Amino acid sequence: MPASDPHATLADKLSSRAPGGQRISYRGAQPFGDAKLRRYELENGLTILLLRDRSAPVAAYHTWFNVGSRHEKAGKTGLAHLFEHLMFNETESFKAGEFDKKLEESGAESNAATWVDWTFYHEALPKDRLPLAVRLESERMARLVLREPQVKSEKEVVANERRYRVDDDVEGASSELLYKTAFTRHPYHWPTIGWMEDIQGFTPEDCESFYRTYYAPNNAVVVVVGDFHEERLLGLIQKAYGAIPRAVIPPDDALPEPPQGDLREVTLKKPTPTEKLIIGYHGPALGDADHVPLTVLNELLFGGRASRLYRALVIDTETCIETRGWVSTFRDSGLYEMYGTARAGKTTGDILAILDREIARVTDDVASEDELGRAKARLELSLLQSLETMNGKAEQIGFFETVLGEPAAAFRRLEGYRRATASDLRKAARRYLAGQGRTLVRVLPESGA
Amino acid sequence: MKSEPTPARFELQGGATLLLEEEHSLPLVSMTLALKSGSAHDPAGKEGASRLALRMLRRGAGELSSKEIEDAIDRLGAEVGTDVSPSGATVGAQVIRRNLDPFLDLLAKMLGAPSFPADEFGRLKRETVAEILESRDSDRALAQRAFRRSLFAGHLYGRSTTGTTATVEALVQDDARAAYDLHMRRGNLVLGLSGDVDETEAKRVAERILDAIPEGVGLADPIVEPEPKRGRRLVFVDKPERTQTQILIGTLGTSAFDADHVPLGVANAVFGGTFTSRLMREIRSKRGWSYGASARLATDRHRQSFSMWTFPASTDAAPCLRLEIELLEAFVEKGITPRELAFVRSYLTRSRAFDVDTASKRLHQALDVAALDLPADYHSSYVAKVKATTLEAANLAVKARIHPADLVIVVVGTAGSTLEGVRSAIDALEEVAVVPFDVE
Repeated sequence: MPASDPHATLADKLSSRAPGGQRISYRGAQPFGDAKLRRYELENGLTILLLRDRSAPVAAYHTWFNVGSRHEKAGKTGLAHLFEHLMFNETESFKAGEFDKKLEESGAESNAATWVDWTFYHEALPKDRLPLAVRLESERMARLVLREPQVKSEKEVVANERRYRVDDDVEGASSELLYKTAFTRHPYHWPTIGWMEDIQGFTPEDCESFYRTYYAPNNAVVVVVGDFHEERLLGLIQKAYGAIPRAVIPPDDALPEPPQGDLREVTLKKPTPTEKLIIGYHGPALGDADHVPLTVLNELLFGGRASRLYRALVIDTETCIETRGWVSTFRDSGLYEMYGTARAGKTTGDILAILDREIARVTDDVASEDELGRAKARLELSLLQSLETMNGKAEQIGFFETVLGEPAAAFRRLEGYRRATASDLRKAARRYLAGQGRTLVRVLPESGA
Repeated sequence: MKSEPTPARFELQGGATLLLEEEHSLPLVSMTLALKSGSAHDPAGKEGASRLALRMLRRGAGELSSKEIEDAIDRLGAEVGTDVSPSGATVGAQVIRRNLDPFLDLLAKMLGAPSFPADEFGRLKRETVAEILESRDSDRALAQRAFRRSLFAGHLYGRSTTGTTATVEALVQDDARAAYDLHMRRGNLVLGLSGDVDETEAKRVAERILDAIPEGVGLADPIVEPEPKRGRRLVFVDKPERTQTQILIGTLGTSAFDADHVPLGVANAVFGGTFTSRLMREIRSKRGWSYGASARLATDRHRQSFSMWTFPASTDAAPCLRLEIELLEAFVEKGITPRELAFVRSYLTRSRAFDVDTASKRLHQALDVAALDLPADYHSSYVAKVKATTLEAANLAVKARIHPADLVIVVVGTAGSTLEGVRSAIDALEEVAVVPFDVE
């Protein structure tokens, strides 16, 4: 970048005032749609991504940590998610409950999420309250207090969340079983919420150790989208986070999943009115070149009421009440999931026969240009919709930066969708959907239910 | 504080209204056609007719088949959805800017010339019946359905907008056509546009849409004020193998026109409307009994519900229920404190920024006002009303509206292991009904 870049000059100015070890560097800008996304980095490794947006007097403040359930060990599953809950408790400066109280008093909305590859915390605030987010997030990154009563109570909350999302939920239970069966070595085998016995066994020491290992500035990205004053905001972030020490982040040791050459089939009985079928094919990682054409193929097969599978399963044969597909957006190779809910009197076998027929079509033939165009238009609409709010933009940026190290990847992918040809789709279908290797979960109603 | 941006309003020919909120940062245009009447107009025994009529709009229009319509929607990068409530209905659409004109042609046809083909009508009925059956998988939906039926028994609010399997199966094409003719008339409409569209284009869009829709005046509201139910009633929805329960407790709240509507909302925010509310603190934070605990007030032209929602483990259901009722009694008897009022005023006034931070949200607030005939300043005066709410007004509203002796309590769980505990947790229980989860 040119030496006279005003943002580099700004970083130099802020650095000149900072104590030793707390310098801030400007790492350049890149397009994010029609706007510019600027990247800074603190000396302790904290990445800061800023996007100015003056469309409303509010701001989104996101903190993404490069830690998820893939970083857990067998017997300690669910720790990343439990920890996310604990981050809303006590810190050295704030008593239990004060964190949320201060945010709500300021009119802020706040929440968090954990998944296989990441954990993120987000606040949406009136723009004049951004300093509060900086203060609270920096505080809990380094000065969280973990005590037995809070850990005990939060374990109960998470156990209840598990009952709600998995144990008493047909879809949650079947999805958990799909990944448990399809993955045998890679940590995608276990659910992010964790096995119930693991959740109930955590100690404050487990939590403390996890915190000291993964919650560090060099394992995090702060994303701010909104109407902010860049120099003031950076100055605040530098002051609040600058003294937090780096940590030695353990190298990722997720074991690679061996290729699945066999058919794995499991059955789940539940008090549910109709049969359900979930299929998982091992698919590409989010960063693989094949992910884009497979996503377009998925849209062609399952996206909306005009898609092939919706027409075949829901409209033409009235086999299903609902069907959908999803190519997992994980750092490592995940699953291409397909889901169908049978109507009364129809079976998982009926669904499977139609699915297999349609899968054979996409591996044998190329799609028409019209069909391809429709899938692409739907994907473009979906991206635009995700950018309607500041929180939506911050989420796109944080997600792609954390998983791919490429914060504006959503736009690169959009270009990829536009370039994808019918032949690319068939090639992706042949690579991932042909062969015997897949996992089937059949959900059957219990008799009398 | 600067005044909030509000959508521009235009009165159009035939009694319709156009609302416009421009926002040009993304190449997207959103449209909402709000109907001022809803499923309350469905004749007795024909529940579900209005919803089916609107869903038929995409199943054939003019010379276009259902498949041709669906293909065209996708080809243009658009979405179309419908929603029906007892008091109103909407057709919502969104399209990539460059395709606005061809999409407009399609939408005008769908709204103005639906063909109600017999085969599609039969298919939609079967689809709807299957959806009703499938909704039994959701314990929360089961709880909400039982709560509405019990709280509003004998009232139009107590009926299902979707209908029941029996009423849907009994509907014929003419019922859907009749519902379409009843609702889809110019004097009964408010059209809202937001996004990448200017005033000239918006008026052109409105003209194109309204030209396609038959003339006609608005409809009289058929809903009367609901009467509160007396005593404590338990409805236990029995479902096998539940490790958890879904609990709804409630009574009537206020209508949007009541003088104590905002004061009750302010008090409710303290009780169960935030992450740090009394319910969350006592049930989730202190005891870990439920992942969530909240209280909400539904809003409509007439008194709607006040309800508390939690979902504790089956083993904690009885103590959790007892605690909730005690918290409600204390809320009514002692009210909220000056400190709580100051806190929640700050929360409600500052978080207002997120009710109006996108063009679409600003438009939908204006649509609410126009479609439900709410006071013109219903949303715009909200912050001032919150600030003006005194402790006395908030606590009087709670005392006047909520009577802990008169409660509908719905629990979805496994009766064999949970019912007796739940029953014994409720003092002065007057009525108990145990309903199988698959009764509808």
